[in-house]
Amino acid sequence: MFLKMVKNDCYRKKIVTATIFIFITMAVILGASATNIIANLTQSMSELQERAHPADITQMHAGDYNQRDIDKFTEEQREHIAMQETMVLLTLDGNNIHFGNNNTMAGTVQDISFVVQNKSFDYILDLNNNKLDVKEGTVAVPIYFMQQYNLKVGETITVKRGDYEKEFTISDYARDYEMNSSLTSSKRFVINQSDYNEMLVNQVGEREYLIQFKLHETGDAQAVQTAYIDAGLPANGPTVGGKIFLIFNAMSDTIVAMVIILISILLIIIASLCIRLTFLATIDEDLREIGVMKAIGISKKDIKKVYLNKYRAISVVAGIVGYLLSFVVVNLFTGNMRLYISSDLSGNLKYALSLIAPLFVYFIITLYFKKVLKRIDKISAVEALRSDIMQRGKNKKYSFSLLKNKFFSTNIYMGIRDVFKRFKLYRLLIVIFVICTFIIILPINVYNTMNSPEFSTYMGVGKSDMRIDLRKTDTITEDYKKLQEELANDPDIEKYAAYITGSFQVKNAEGAWDYINIETGDFSVFPLSYLEGNAPKEDGEIALSYANASKDGLDKKVGDTVIVKVAGAEKKMTVSGIYQDITNGGKTAKATTSLELNENAILWYIVNMDVAKDVNIPEKMEYYQSQYASAQVNDIKEYTQQTLGNIIGQMSTVVIGGIAISLIIIVLITALFLRMLLSKDMSQIAIMRSMGLTANNIKQQYMAGTLLVLIIGIFLGVLVSNYLGEYLVSMGMSSMGAAKIELVNVAWQTWLLCPLALIVVVGITITVCCKVTVKDDLSVILKG
Amino acid sequence: MNNILEATRINKIVELGKNNELHILKDVNLEIKEGEFVAVMGPSGSGKSTLLYNVSGMDRISSGDVLFKGNEIGKLKEENLAKIRLNNMGFIFQNINLLKNLSLIDNVMFPALVSKDADKNKVYKRAKKLLEMTGIAALENNNINQASGGQLQRVAICRALINDPDILFGDEPTGALDSKSATEIMSLLTEINKKGTTVMLVTHDAKVAAKTERVLFMVDGKIVASKKMNKFDAKVDNIKEREESIMKWIVESTDTYSNKGEEKMAK
Repeated sequence: MFLKMVKNDCYRKKIVTATIFIFITMAVILGASATNIIANLTQSMSELQERAHPADITQMHAGDYNQRDIDKFTEEQREHIAMQETMVLLTLDGNNIHFGNNNTMAGTVQDISFVVQNKSFDYILDLNNNKLDVKEGTVAVPIYFMQQYNLKVGETITVKRGDYEKEFTISDYARDYEMNSSLTSSKRFVINQSDYNEMLVNQVGEREYLIQFKLHETGDAQAVQTAYIDAGLPANGPTVGGKIFLIFNAMSDTIVAMVIILISILLIIIASLCIRLTFLATIDEDLREIGVMKAIGISKKDIKKVYLNKYRAISVVAGIVGYLLSFVVVNLFTGNMRLYISSDLSGNLKYALSLIAPLFVYFIITLYFKKVLKRIDKISAVEALRSDIMQRGKNKKYSFSLLKNKFFSTNIYMGIRDVFKRFKLYRLLIVIFVICTFIIILPINVYNTMNSPEFSTYMGVGKSDMRIDLRKTDTITEDYKKLQEELANDPDIEKYAAYITGSFQVKNAEGAWDYINIETGDFSVFPLSYLEGNAPKEDGEIALSYANASKDGLDKKVGDTVIVKVAGAEKKMTVSGIYQDITNGGKTAKATTSLELNENAILWYIVNMDVAKDVNIPEKMEYYQSQYASAQVNDIKEYTQQTLGNIIGQMSTVVIGGIAISLIIIVLITALFLRMLLSKDMSQIAIMRSMGLTANNIKQQYMAGTLLVLIIGIFLGVLVSNYLGEYLVSMGMSSMGAAKIELVNVAWQTWLLCPLALIVVVGITITVCCKVTVKDDLSVILKG
Repeated sequence: MNNILEATRINKIVELGKNNELHILKDVNLEIKEGEFVAVMGPSGSGKSTLLYNVSGMDRISSGDVLFKGNEIGKLKEENLAKIRLNNMGFIFQNINLLKNLSLIDNVMFPALVSKDADKNKVYKRAKKLLEMTGIAALENNNINQASGGQLQRVAICRALINDPDILFGDEPTGALDSKSATEIMSLLTEINKKGTTVMLVTHDAKVAAKTERVLFMVDGKIVASKKMNKFDAKVDNIKEREESIMKWIVESTDTYSNKGEEKMAK
């Protein structure tokens, strides 16, 4: 009996039922896709970890090195250390690697090195997650470069340095647990031992060392790191813990999963609002039925069951359809994961975990609708049968008189005043338009922020036209001096500032010594906006990155003291300011040039510059790149894009997805809303037509009302995206090292293009939906 | 006097479902002269309201011709038909049909303000004058739930008159009113007709029909009889006599129609 009633009701309200069904399905698809991504990520990350067997501590080093010292240290620390292995990297510059038609990898922000496969842990894998075994004359290229330069298996790359030239055929992709991510600034090319030996003999590339430790399960990483430093072992490069690699690997997919979950939650809200809207709009029509049911003695509980069963049935069917479709849709989002983490995403966990989404949606919809249904309790049988009583409004003071209209035609004014007169009805539509605008604008703002030169603020550097990175080479000091001289005499360079980054020991919150990178230089030339305080100006001042100053780092505030070991002595430094930085794991610091730098502790040099007016930046970049072969010359935008590569790419998918989802929602909701409004207003429309108003006049009224609601929705939506969006993004990014993101708002996109697109879409929807008003003989309605 | 409305062999057929049609108007012919006051009477389901809605262009006829001031309205596009309804016709309904969210005076002014070149001040003055004429000027800013049925029907009449129509159509305009209000409304319509506006009413009440000058009697979708009287003048005419004469005429017409039917059946 109830099933029959549900079936009849769905048939009677086909469009409304279909729209709600679509929303619930979409919410389930997205929710299940997100949980699917998380399940896949968890399962495939653990598989990758198992296969790659990554190091727990990796110490980078360039310069003098003695393996015997390391071996001795390892023996001393046997209670913590299970295995030790040192990988010798042959680092090359991008312009030494040639491929395709006279192309080189010059200009990449990544450090390139050639290595052979490790023996006992930290394996570099192929796309099937098997340990790479590279044959002579072949090379396995990091996935990052395969994507960046569109390289394919079977193609060749050539290493050219001085007179040495060697061609390698690409045999595999290299899936590198430790250096997969674009956020890790080094990439490893795997070659055969004999080719490697040949390069060593010919002195191709600078040697760098990855001194790696694999700990016992109970091993204490912090204790080993401290002991290592205390032993004075080679350590002039950064030290990286295993967790950082895990975070970097999972970050872009986690961000995508989070965004999808957010959109899915918004869709559940929209579906709930739709149900409420449908219920409130059709309750007038159903009032008689409810009255009859009450009059013949059917209990409130059973009447509610009739309504509830309908939405229960829709939720169950939509849940099943959405759950099944999610396994198709999820493929749109897992491309990155398939490439970087695991090609085989056939784990079983996703089937169970994805069930959470439909179950969650079902319970939310049922719970919400039960709340909406409480309205039925308030209706008595007599009131329901004499529905005219319900329509008698309160004696409110009359407002929006037609005579007060000074600016609009009467029809447009009628539409506008209707929004204010029946605000309760329209406010649901406003909320939905706000959500849709949010879904479009927030990803656009995030995308624009990541693409803007201002993004350098979150990477710990002031805004400049160009930057030159000098990495460790034998000639680095001379190159650095020569570069400064040349910049000082170059009339095309308006201003420049040089920064040296060195590795220093600082006392952490527990009183132990940690290593941090401190950048020294004059920070007034390219000022950076600080979260708190200012840049260091005097000797004894230090600025900390947000992640370094936070509780997980040194736990310091502006004005606190930090103890830094400089030239063997402890130096007290005062925190002058806190800035945002998502590079180098988020933990960096800045000090003035008065901080003494040990030559061996220098990690890299950076020179930032602004060119004079009318100087062509790409030409200038090309010039300096040709003069300083080992340098990386980039403009800030390119630097950002190469560092955040994957995330920006994935973000653009989210932008397109967000726009598509919003437009679908807007069309469906506007159509649904108008249909219900038109059927509710049928008698009023017939009265107006009997007076001589044309269908066009009436369309103008609904167009004006709905567009006003849309404009209010867009306006609020943009504000919500800017303020709440900024808060949400900052919250998400704080784990990366940026706690206060100011989203870049491209005015013509947010205030012109998006509103215009939404207005056109809604306008077309109204035009199509209002056509139905002209169909029937007027007397049918006027006599009723 | 010229015909303002002329219907020739009009039919109205409504589809109720698969293989189920209802033939409501059957080859109906009708002529109404300018300034005339006509009532259409007949039993329930005889098609009198349908006739009114079809000759006024509110509904579309299935076949036949309807000329309004010489224009064939059955063939007009929706837009042009709406223009005629706005400028040349006025309507009053049994269930009043005012716009819910407008005040009484805004309801009256609305059809006039819809025109692009409407002068708001002039429209307001005219609306005010009409409300004064109908005796409800004091309620002009009331919401529609702050007036009685009789008062609302007066507002509906004012609205019908705001664009100074050539003809006023009324579908049982007194049907839902108490007898005092009904008498007042009919007096109002008589006044309006005297000033030159043609009026065509549908009613089942002989007392209402007694105030018109021609009564048409419909049975089974056809006009079966017509009764011409002089224009009603309250000073000269006895309303009771006119009412009784109409009642008597209705009985005779019904008998004649029934006999004809029986003869037809016998043949």
